[in-house]
Amino acid sequence: MAKKDKMSVEEMLAAARASDGGGKGADSPAAAGDATESAPEATPAAAAEQPATPPAKKASAMSVEEMLAAARAEKKGGAAPSKPAPAASAPAADAPQKKPGQMSVEEMLAAARGEKKGAAAPAKPAAKAAPKPAAAKAAAKKGPAKKGPAKEAGPKDTASILAAARSASKPGPISKAEAAAQGKTLPAGKKKLEVPPMPAKPGYAKAPATAGANAERRGFLAVTLASIGVYMGSALGIGFGTIIATNLLWLLGLARYMFPNILTEPPTRFKVGFPDELAPGQVATKFKAQFGVWIVRDEYDGAPQIFALQSVCTHLGCTPNWLEGEQKFKCPCHGSGFYKDGINFEGPAPRPLERFAIRIADDGQLEVDKSRTYKEEIGQWSDTASYVPV
Amino acid sequence: MHGHNTAEFLDGVSGFIGCFYLSLAAMNATAALYLWQTGKARSYFKVAGLTITTAHLWLAVALIFTVMGGIALGGMAGLLSLPIGLRAALDNIMGPMTYTLGSLVILTVLYLGRSFFVKPIVAWAGLNLSLLFMGLSLTDYDFAQIVTKPDNVPIVAMVYLLAYFTWLSAYRAVENDKRIANGQGPLESEDDEKILVWPDLVYTELICMIVLTVVLLVWAVALQAPLEEPASAVKTPNPSKAPWYFLGLQEMLVYYDPWMAGVVLPSMVVFGLMAIPYIDFNKAGNGYYTINERKFAYLTFQFGFLVLWVTLIVMGTFLRGPNWNFFGFYETWDAHKVEALNNVDLSEYFWVRIFGVGRPQAPEGAGTLQSIGWILVRESPGIVCLIGYFAFLPPAMVLYSKFFRKMFIQMGFLRFMVLSNLILMMALLPIKMLARWSSLNMKYFISIPEYFLNF
Repeated sequence: MAKKDKMSVEEMLAAARASDGGGKGADSPAAAGDATESAPEATPAAAAEQPATPPAKKASAMSVEEMLAAARAEKKGGAAPSKPAPAASAPAADAPQKKPGQMSVEEMLAAARGEKKGAAAPAKPAAKAAPKPAAAKAAAKKGPAKKGPAKEAGPKDTASILAAARSASKPGPISKAEAAAQGKTLPAGKKKLEVPPMPAKPGYAKAPATAGANAERRGFLAVTLASIGVYMGSALGIGFGTIIATNLLWLLGLARYMFPNILTEPPTRFKVGFPDELAPGQVATKFKAQFGVWIVRDEYDGAPQIFALQSVCTHLGCTPNWLEGEQKFKCPCHGSGFYKDGINFEGPAPRPLERFAIRIADDGQLEVDKSRTYKEEIGQWSDTASYVPV
Repeated sequence: MHGHNTAEFLDGVSGFIGCFYLSLAAMNATAALYLWQTGKARSYFKVAGLTITTAHLWLAVALIFTVMGGIALGGMAGLLSLPIGLRAALDNIMGPMTYTLGSLVILTVLYLGRSFFVKPIVAWAGLNLSLLFMGLSLTDYDFAQIVTKPDNVPIVAMVYLLAYFTWLSAYRAVENDKRIANGQGPLESEDDEKILVWPDLVYTELICMIVLTVVLLVWAVALQAPLEEPASAVKTPNPSKAPWYFLGLQEMLVYYDPWMAGVVLPSMVVFGLMAIPYIDFNKAGNGYYTINERKFAYLTFQFGFLVLWVTLIVMGTFLRGPNWNFFGFYETWDAHKVEALNNVDLSEYFWVRIFGVGRPQAPEGAGTLQSIGWILVRESPGIVCLIGYFAFLPPAMVLYSKFFRKMFIQMGFLRFMVLSNLILMMALLPIKMLARWSSLNMKYFISIPEYFLNF
């Protein structure tokens, strides 16, 4: 008791119980004070009856049963001296007041009754009968190093002492297994909810009877139509319907955008003047800037003809230049060269320039169609659409 | 020399050339001062009791450059130029073949005589000579037009930067090789003290950052942005050049079809570089400079980088003019220069020139498969060459070369095949270049324009 300040609550409790058990604590204000402070169960009677109850530590850790048991013990206590009884019961009543939710009215009543009946059962002799065992038990249980008796009784190793103390006096809830091991019944936690019986299944949820399948189907159709109608009429339906309609319109607009009214690019079909405007052997370069085409009047396979050469190098797609002095097309990128008739002869270009389709239009002008090309290397230049004979 | 007045041009350029020579003088004077102050100057001989050292040598060079700078600033830059006859001779002998083979020969000489050429005094003399050559050539209108074009100035700088770093690594490698031959470890193993990231590394990086920013700012202010006319789908600039770092690729495109020069060969470059850790089993040279201990790796890399990449960039920048024709250093870029480039396919050589028959051709109305068969027959010489090149050369290398046999044993079949195929791939470009430039005028070994497949 000298080191009371440094003692933990459990130790104080144990000490108090021990002293109560010793009989001197019933009147002792110190013990009573201890009990009120820490645990309402630490009444002399309870201490005598249930010295081994581990939960006897904190009010918060005490279950209703324990309180009840304490009250009952008081009751049975019979000839407990009138003085200690109120002192002891006061904390018992205090605890429920702290946590009223945990104590039912009956229990409070029982506690009160216990107090009243207080009777003349002398708790002293009963308690006196086992002063030493109680003290010994408490010491063995709590056994913290600070306590003298514990030091004597318990093992010397601090770690094991601590472990023992912890395992024995573990506060807080315990598992069912632990409770079983300690031979103690767990407090029944929450009340079990009484589940009301399920209502009978409504007709539409029942398995369809095979006989009325048709009617069921009709019913289903009606329900579906009705729900669609409800849906379409709802704000959600209106919202989504608007979004879908807008997107459809936007898509249609996009499709329309692909076919503009006016093309700023030159047409793929265009007229390039009359055939007799070209002198024999002439390369007309004036259409290159706008249409990317040379109109050439030259021979191919000994046949004089007019054809339209695409001004794209067959190597990597640069635009060659017509060099009048050298009578060749020459590419500025990698030096490919082509004869006047478009046949490649120097540099890396692997194949001749390509021809566009050309014909004499109704008005007698040459008309080039860029949508069709003719390649020499696969013999397409013999196609009559690829040249105009002169 | 159309469209410009030589005297006006020289007036305009003399200020720049004068400053150029003066800065060369300052450079040499600084070197002389450094050698004299640090006592690193080596003495050669004595004249009248005065010991002539390298410091005196570079001081004399600085004096000569000062005089030249004075002449140029005085408006007589025309005096400081190469004789016209020499320039014309240089232009005449210059061609793609001369240029590439010449670069190869020069680099080989530098490699073989590396213990001489890496000496600081020799390297410094080489730097002075090349800068002198630049200065003397700058009075030539055509040379100046190309070298001082804002697009090309960084490439001139790059050439010097690259030369410096190549020299630096070779210098240290030669030093290490000497030490290793003497039984000492490489220089790096003696100075392997660990230094701190902060401040040693971070300070260096900070200074580099600042210097680089200053260079970029000066560059951006001093040189005009090379903007051209608005782009047009039907008008290609003449000459039309790729960005400078892709000029090697553009040069490759002259010899191969786009799929080959633009896709396959660049991919092989990338994959080959990635494969180096798996191919290279030589542990020597790890953490120090050396050439002797890994000659094969060094030579292969330098050939691929210096010859097949850098010299092609230089060629594409300075020597390729309108219509992608080749022009000498002092030649006017004439868009109408005529070069005989009548290229001939291998199949034509084989069928027409050797056997005197027409190239095999599918008969009229042949089906697709039949015409493909005829095409394969037509191109069979090239196809046989290609298959033989890749199938028979690697085993032949093992059988007939002691070096490759040793390598084969050490590397195993798979790794050796990867290595040999990569090397053969790399060799495809110079082979094709030579075949094009030589009197063969080879266009394509395999030419199947019908299916866009040319090789």
